[in-house]
Amino acid sequence: MMKKYIYYLLAFICFGLLQSCDKAESEAILSPYTPASVDENAGNWKTFVLSSPTEVSINAPLATTDPAYLKEIDSLKNVVYPNLTNEQRQIVGYWGAGAVYRWNEIARELAARYNSAPAANAEGKYPVPDANNPLADPKFPFANPPYVSRALAYLSVAQFDALVSAWKYKYQYNRPAPSVVDKSVKVLLPISNLPSYPSEDAVVAQASYVILLAMFPGEGPFLKAKLEECKNARLWAGMNVSSDLNAGVSLGGAVAAKVMVKARADGMGAANNQAATADMITRSKSLGFKTVWASQESPARPPMLPTFGNVKTWNFDRATLEAIRPAIPYIEGSAEFNKDLEELQAIDKNQTREQAAIANFWADGPGTYTPPGHWHRYGANAGFEAKYSEVRMARMLAYLGTAEMDAGIACWETKFYYYSPRPQQYGLKTSVGLPNFPSYTSGHSTFSAAGAEVLSAFFPEKASTFNSYAQQASDSRVYGLIHWRIDCIMGLKHGKTIGQYAVKRAQQDGAL
Amino acid sequence: MKHTFLCVFISLWSMNTIMAQMPHDQIYMNKNIACGALLYGNSSWTNYWENTLKRDNPNIGKLSTESLSAMIAYGITKKVNALVMVPYIKTQASQGNLMGQQGFQDLSLWIKTQVFNYKNLHGHATVGVSTPLKNYVTEFMPMSIGLGAKTLSGRAIVHYNLPSNLFVSATGSYIIRGPVNVDRDAFLHGERLINSNSVPVPNAMDAQLRIGYLKKENQFELFAEHFSCIGGDNIRRNSMPFLTNDMTMTAIGAYAKYQLKSLGISARVSYVVDGQNAGQSTNVTVGLLYLFKTK
Repeated sequence: MMKKYIYYLLAFICFGLLQSCDKAESEAILSPYTPASVDENAGNWKTFVLSSPTEVSINAPLATTDPAYLKEIDSLKNVVYPNLTNEQRQIVGYWGAGAVYRWNEIARELAARYNSAPAANAEGKYPVPDANNPLADPKFPFANPPYVSRALAYLSVAQFDALVSAWKYKYQYNRPAPSVVDKSVKVLLPISNLPSYPSEDAVVAQASYVILLAMFPGEGPFLKAKLEECKNARLWAGMNVSSDLNAGVSLGGAVAAKVMVKARADGMGAANNQAATADMITRSKSLGFKTVWASQESPARPPMLPTFGNVKTWNFDRATLEAIRPAIPYIEGSAEFNKDLEELQAIDKNQTREQAAIANFWADGPGTYTPPGHWHRYGANAGFEAKYSEVRMARMLAYLGTAEMDAGIACWETKFYYYSPRPQQYGLKTSVGLPNFPSYTSGHSTFSAAGAEVLSAFFPEKASTFNSYAQQASDSRVYGLIHWRIDCIMGLKHGKTIGQYAVKRAQQDGAL
Repeated sequence: MKHTFLCVFISLWSMNTIMAQMPHDQIYMNKNIACGALLYGNSSWTNYWENTLKRDNPNIGKLSTESLSAMIAYGITKKVNALVMVPYIKTQASQGNLMGQQGFQDLSLWIKTQVFNYKNLHGHATVGVSTPLKNYVTEFMPMSIGLGAKTLSGRAIVHYNLPSNLFVSATGSYIIRGPVNVDRDAFLHGERLINSNSVPVPNAMDAQLRIGYLKKENQFELFAEHFSCIGGDNIRRNSMPFLTNDMTMTAIGAYAKYQLKSLGISARVSYVVDGQNAGQSTNVTVGLLYLFKTK
């Protein structure tokens, strides 16, 4: 009798083996939507880098009665649609979530893939990643939080400026979508009354390609494949003809090139000036710090981007950056310092599972898209839920992205101004891994408060959620034992102020 | 089986944070006989394979995993035995600042039965299930105490008796491992970023070849074993391991047991000679066994 059951069990296991071959997670396909508004006036929105929406010109489209155009329509109907494969339909479904949404997601994936610190070599030195040899070991870039904040800022700004320009031309030329010109064109995605020349998807694809290739120079083939996919999806879906796409490519590429000119002059190239640290340490000691920050890694690793604080900010100037720098933190030996130390010692002794969970959730450490990536994800998802148009999505992400980059710059300036020690210099362990740069203020707190401030302005109904996320992200660094409480409190305050500058700019620009 | 009072043993094979518990022998207890065991294990490594690169890590030093396990084996019938085990695990790194973890790990249950018996050749099968006892942290590898996956495993054992109480034995098993919900909400799986907290843990298989001496309650054996995942990704350059990794280990070792009436002792040592995405661990387990009748 028993034997029989065991045979059943064995048969069940064999079945299980066959079922479990492919365990790779498939991501949810987001259902495409018609935007709540097509934002027909977006051609007049204030851009970040372009001096005017028509700074880059494109050719006027052919009339919809022109034989060349009719041939393009005919190709959609009689060549593309009848030959659609299932794979092509799936690709259309993927990009149907929105070009800005997907390119932001792609950027976050690249950030995660490139987020590993260089390994020490045999001499105990850490080689610096080389942009001219990006796939060597160590790979270029090391996509750490400041790097990612900057990459995402330029990505969103380029997408936004290019889309504002695209909207200007869309309503200037007013070429209807293929399925409006010819009712027999079959479409796979929801259709709006947005004019289709130039294609907004192609604009975003090419602008994103240019920025991301500059930020991740080893990813040419990957990015090229995504670019082609994004453009082809519009043909396969019957949403654009080739000339819509070609105009979009030319516009998106030209705008992104202008944004890259600004990026190359923002001081990032000088952000890893290790020679500057000697003076920083001297200043820290003169401010009264008895212990200054020292790398806890073995062999000691030079601090991450000590002069990133000199990079050019977006939404406030240098004098403001210095004026809003948080005040000096508690010094070793003071009663306040001891209180912060005791809080950490108590967690070190008896960390709860919930504290560990919060620390892990917000850790956003090596192999992840970092805190700026986390906040861009929240922004993109909120824009998706609100059925934002492409240009509105890019605009919201541009204010978010510039606020995140400003947060990175101002926080790093603060960190290296004070050069304060980490809790691990006082015998504490960590449950999330220790970042290799000075403690005060908490980067997570700064990024998160800035992100929450901007997103709350765009999505006021979600403000309490975003603010509670920021508070939790901030607390997570205490729970993970890598920040003093004062680092987190002051980081949150600083981040909120930084976010307010982005919100103020958005209000002045008419975006809020 | 003639050995009425033989206590079934479990061998612990711990590596990094995985514990592959293997009731892999041919020994049964008679109906209503139970064996309780207390096992102490120590597994440690200084070198590990980051993907295929063998390296050390001065920010970890020596990683030690200690375990204390309680196990009960019970004879449902003479040819069907059940085994249950609960380990408490503690990890610690000798250098660096990564916080050690500890706690109860996974509850495991196996049913073992004889499938055929032909002269000196015996075939056996086990099926096992395991489930985490608590929601312990899994993503803080290599400090985590376990993978946190529910498992369903099947094992086949072929045993051949040689003259002079010698034997050879081969086993093969397949372990289906369920997805694990981690604390974070995104993770890399190969080159893809998955925006979810549900991590696919690759299935695994292992195989053993054993040769030994078995007389009444006492035995001694030498073994070689190989563990590998079915798919999975590699540890990224200069990064920590993750649940999705394709771990592979080949180890050699020895096992001995001595039973003195109802009390017995066991000892097992093994050493990983080759691997990928895994530590080169040295594993030692010692056990105290106690036999008793339940009816």
